[in-house]
Amino acid sequence: MDIVTLLPVFMFLALALLLFSGYPVAFILGGVGLAFGFLGIHFDVFSLIEFFNILSRVWGGVCENLILVAVPMFIFMGTMLERSGVAKDLLYCLQVLLRKTPGGLALSVTIMGTIMAATTGIIGASVVMMTLLALPVMLDRKYDVSLATGTIAASGTLGILIPPSIMLVIMADLLAISVGTLFVASVLPGLLLATLYIIYIYIRTKINPELAPPLPDNIGPTARKDILLLVAKSFLPPVALITLVLGSIFGGFATPTEAAGVGALGSILLAIFNKKLKFKVLKDVSERSALTCAMIFGIFVGATAFSYVFRSLGGDDLIHDFVYQVGGGSWGILFLMMAMVFVLGFFFDWVEITLIVLPLFAPIMATLDFGNHVSPELIIPWIAVLLAVNLQTSFLTPPFGFALFYLKGVAPPSVKIQMIYKGIIPFVLLQLIGLSLVIGFPEIALWLPQRLLD
Amino acid sequence: MFVAKLFINASKLIEKILTFFGMLGAWLAIPLIFVIIFDVISRRFFVIGSTKLQEMEFHLHTALFLLVLGFAYVKNSHVRIEIIRERFPTKLKAWFEVFGTLIFLLPFTGMVIYYGLDFVSRSYNMNEVSAALTGLSHRWIIKSFLPLGMFLLWLAGISVLFRNLAYIIAEEEKNETIMKNSLSISPELKSIDFPEAIKSKNKE
Repeated sequence: MDIVTLLPVFMFLALALLLFSGYPVAFILGGVGLAFGFLGIHFDVFSLIEFFNILSRVWGGVCENLILVAVPMFIFMGTMLERSGVAKDLLYCLQVLLRKTPGGLALSVTIMGTIMAATTGIIGASVVMMTLLALPVMLDRKYDVSLATGTIAASGTLGILIPPSIMLVIMADLLAISVGTLFVASVLPGLLLATLYIIYIYIRTKINPELAPPLPDNIGPTARKDILLLVAKSFLPPVALITLVLGSIFGGFATPTEAAGVGALGSILLAIFNKKLKFKVLKDVSERSALTCAMIFGIFVGATAFSYVFRSLGGDDLIHDFVYQVGGGSWGILFLMMAMVFVLGFFFDWVEITLIVLPLFAPIMATLDFGNHVSPELIIPWIAVLLAVNLQTSFLTPPFGFALFYLKGVAPPSVKIQMIYKGIIPFVLLQLIGLSLVIGFPEIALWLPQRLLD
Repeated sequence: MFVAKLFINASKLIEKILTFFGMLGAWLAIPLIFVIIFDVISRRFFVIGSTKLQEMEFHLHTALFLLVLGFAYVKNSHVRIEIIRERFPTKLKAWFEVFGTLIFLLPFTGMVIYYGLDFVSRSYNMNEVSAALTGLSHRWIIKSFLPLGMFLLWLAGISVLFRNLAYIIAEEEKNETIMKNSLSISPELKSIDFPEAIKSKNKE
């Protein structure tokens, strides 16, 4: 092989190496794209005018794209909800309800994580919020630190998987499938994982109650009427919002973009209802969501430039040939992709993995064949769900799981990183069980979309 | 000394400009919410053509993220792989930022600005309108946000370049005051929560 055919390989290696310089990913992607464009011009396999095409790609793919309008809206909704006090009320109510159950507080955290996941989808924000809300209470009650941190990290990352999730919007856009289908397909896998967490916590604290001492009986109201009122007051707002957003998408009344806009307005109304909305809050929420948005779309622009040049230099064919040589049929390729994403997840965030790797996988995914296991038209949604579960797991895997660092960042100093590592291992195993179940029984992901979206 | 001070002041000035445009972009989320809501409601009840509204939605989305790109860089909100970088001494971090800006950011934004202007002028010359019959006209206006946003990002690169150079110069000259000054305006040189986690792991 001569140097020109190997250019894409060098390009990918250069990217991988340079990313570790710690310079922002978005700009490295663009810079490497530009540099290899010029190298390509030098070797006569690229031409200057193709840079103009990158602009058209950015315009068509990132700007003039109604699907992606859902992203700023969902980010706004999540950021606003975080400030609206909904989560705090919810956690308090769950504590009161579950005060007699073994591991009640840990179970409350898991359930809260699942409910919040169905309203937002921003990992950093939800892990930080749950750590600040729940960890001090758990430590105060002499909870086992590893169990407490593991529960928070795992439940806080469910947001990436349970719709509405920004990651699923972007995945669907890149794979050219419907956002609604992907949302519906990931509902049951997300709930499956939450259920696995709950079963694990329940059994473990049943066997060993001193891991999770119960709350004192005197917290909160005891009269049945007061408890019902508390439940209504804390559950109704987020559940109504979830029903409104997801219901309108699943029922086919609204596109995900419209539902996201409605959700954003809903989150503002909730904040007003809870008397949390001030001008300063609105300004702060707008600023922080815009910064998150710029981070994601910055990488989007950079990745568009990178993949355009990469493809133009013949990178697609190289990957295609490589995958088929290592191969082992469709199953082998599927496991290869899963393993690659899992390993990349040690170092990178979902934004980079989705935007850089997914476009490279997409053409390969379309050629896979699993016989009777998965019907051909549902292969791409199925693999997308598998990748989503996999990416959630990658947030949790030591040593570089992002959720663990967010957690450590806001936890009291007495919480050592080793305890966090120790606590997350059972949850990573649960993730792998969940992933294997969705691989073995594709119906977990595909039954609901076939039912709902016929 | 004098040069370092000049760099700091220039960097701060640029940051002010970027903050103005960034916040302008950030506030666009509010009209975006209302355009979507109006679209949803009016389509149900009044049956007006909603193509214009939907095109307005992506116009606002595009303007929003492009105006904020540069602001996000001076605020250090663009994601980095910190695994190795967080172990660097501050001065090396500053050198990496300088090289990164010169090698990656400025050339890339320069390219997008150059071809972006061409992109806009083609749209202007052909009087480009929406492909949909009832869509919005004057497509060149929103298209010019592409080079504008990239120009703001380019400016952000200059601002970050200046403040990091100021730190490097002050460090060479052992000028504590200017070092502190440049550190206080450079969030990318401060250690953040994330590396703290790894540091404490190493200490233990």
